[in-house]
Amino acid sequence: MNLRTIAAFAAFAFSALPAHAVDILTAKGLVQIAVSPTKIAVLDIAALDTLDRLGIKPAGVPQKLYLPQLEPLKQGAEIVGDLFEPDLEALSALGPDLIIVGGRSSTKASATAQVVQTIDMTMDGDDLVAQAKERLAAYGVLFGKTAEAASAVEELDARIKAAKAAIAGKGNGLIIMTNGPKVTAYGPGSRFGWVHAALNLPAAVPDIEAANHGEAISFEFIAKANPDWLLVLDRAAAIGSGEQGAKTTLDNELVAETTAWKKNQVIYLPAAEFYIAAGGVQSIQRVVATIAEAFTAAR
Amino acid sequence: MSIAAAKQSSKTGWIAGLMLAVLFVFSLCVGVGDMPIIRLFSDGRVLELLLVSRLPRTLAAILTGAGLAIAGLIMQTLARNRYVEPATAGTAQSAELGILLVTLLLPSASLLFKSLAASAAALLGTTLFLMTAHRLPPTQPFLVPLFGLVYGGVIGAAVTFVAWQADLLQYLSVWTNGDFSGVLRGRYELLWLGALMVVIAWIVADRLTIMALGRDASIGLGLDYARMLQLGLVIVSVISALSVVVVGMIPFVGLVVPNIVSRLMGDNIRGTLPFVAASGAILVLGCDILGRLIRHPYEIPVGTVMGCVGGLIFLWLLFRRPSHV
Repeated sequence: MNLRTIAAFAAFAFSALPAHAVDILTAKGLVQIAVSPTKIAVLDIAALDTLDRLGIKPAGVPQKLYLPQLEPLKQGAEIVGDLFEPDLEALSALGPDLIIVGGRSSTKASATAQVVQTIDMTMDGDDLVAQAKERLAAYGVLFGKTAEAASAVEELDARIKAAKAAIAGKGNGLIIMTNGPKVTAYGPGSRFGWVHAALNLPAAVPDIEAANHGEAISFEFIAKANPDWLLVLDRAAAIGSGEQGAKTTLDNELVAETTAWKKNQVIYLPAAEFYIAAGGVQSIQRVVATIAEAFTAAR
Repeated sequence: MSIAAAKQSSKTGWIAGLMLAVLFVFSLCVGVGDMPIIRLFSDGRVLELLLVSRLPRTLAAILTGAGLAIAGLIMQTLARNRYVEPATAGTAQSAELGILLVTLLLPSASLLFKSLAASAAALLGTTLFLMTAHRLPPTQPFLVPLFGLVYGGVIGAAVTFVAWQADLLQYLSVWTNGDFSGVLRGRYELLWLGALMVVIAWIVADRLTIMALGRDASIGLGLDYARMLQLGLVIVSVISALSVVVVGMIPFVGLVVPNIVSRLMGDNIRGTLPFVAASGAILVLGCDILGRLIRHPYEIPVGTVMGCVGGLIFLWLLFRRPSHV
């Protein structure tokens, strides 16, 4: 190989390097994105929600978006499977530059990585809000929208600050999920723990262990915990079935004894936002707004 | 029944009754809420807790346990095979399919309507099972439970598929894994219909014993075989469907309880039926109490506890040498 060919190779290699190769923070740590992506496939509702806030339209989306607000994203986009099962053939046919997975689809990251580079943007637990901001910043850098990302963070911070002020000094809360006739409880450290952590809401039962689907509890548990506020996630509503509502499940003689029920301080959280799109910037804002509104109304 | 056997059974009866009574009282005392027995009648709230939560839960466990054990006994009689039960041979899975379809088609249907749909589906599923089971060669006794497992598995797979499509998988767990945590006054009373089925089973107990001899023998003895088969099917289906609707599926009860009782006391259903019912109640109530205690104040579903306990009992049944043949 003579010098000229080496020089030619070097020149070619340099020209092939993208304008801005970036390192961005994912759930699996720093990942280098070599090619600035223009065509992306997203298999996580929280990521879709945040990207939507930044005005980024993915080329591939899941079959079911759960949040009606995200429905316009489907127009002109390919369906590339669902949250639990990516459609690898559709993904290959689409040929995106980057695939984003997270939460429910994060287990399929190695499968979709066979198609093209995949980043895992999962968020969970107590510092969900901090992670949501990290993801926002990462998307901002990745898609050249740092200014929008910064303003979205500001907006989010303002909402949270307002909610904190509304919540302060109005008693403790218990987060429960109803699934048909059955109830599970969540505490700090659980997947919904961020409500306690980010909004400074004291927990009625501080030591509920962090099981993914909560701890199965009886109505006696709720009666004994006697929370000032009940934050209710109706799982059936989250997945869009018209099943027995949380209200029917909770409307019984034991729950009726709690302060929360007596003072009409039961908050039904926006289910899909809280449960499916947890960590999406717009979703967090809607959840926080619902909570703030209820606490503000309380005397 | 010989005099010795009668003595034996009255002794066993005392033991079973005593155990059930002890568990009954114990169950009333176990729970998250504070319920000091001393203040039962002086403090209205204590009595209220007992009547709203503890007593319904205890009764629900007893009714479910007794019902499922009897359903297992009858199913084993009808299939003439000791290793089938509603939870494995398609009855419970059919009931689930029924509830699932009602949930999808008529989301606002009442619990009673759901139970009816579940019962109808269970009846259909069990009939199909028995029709096929009766065609299997009697010389190969393990074909029947094997077929039952496959059949139940196929229906279960259909249920899972439909639930998956409709994104109802976790909602499905409400029925697939039995759990008494949602039981309160006003939310379990349908189970008393199951008790009615047990009474009917007791009334026709002698005829059921004859049915165990097979179709030809029972017709020869003057039994209206087809009518009895229908009645047995209805009893099994209604009991299983009600249990699935109200508390969810509980495995093993219908399998191990009739087997243990028949090993101890033989196959005269008139004589064994009360013990089957009592033992089923003891087993389910005991497992529910365990589930309430292991991770107090949280709960382990009774279906999960029973999966472990029932599995162990079943292994013991398989490996233990029969005391008398």
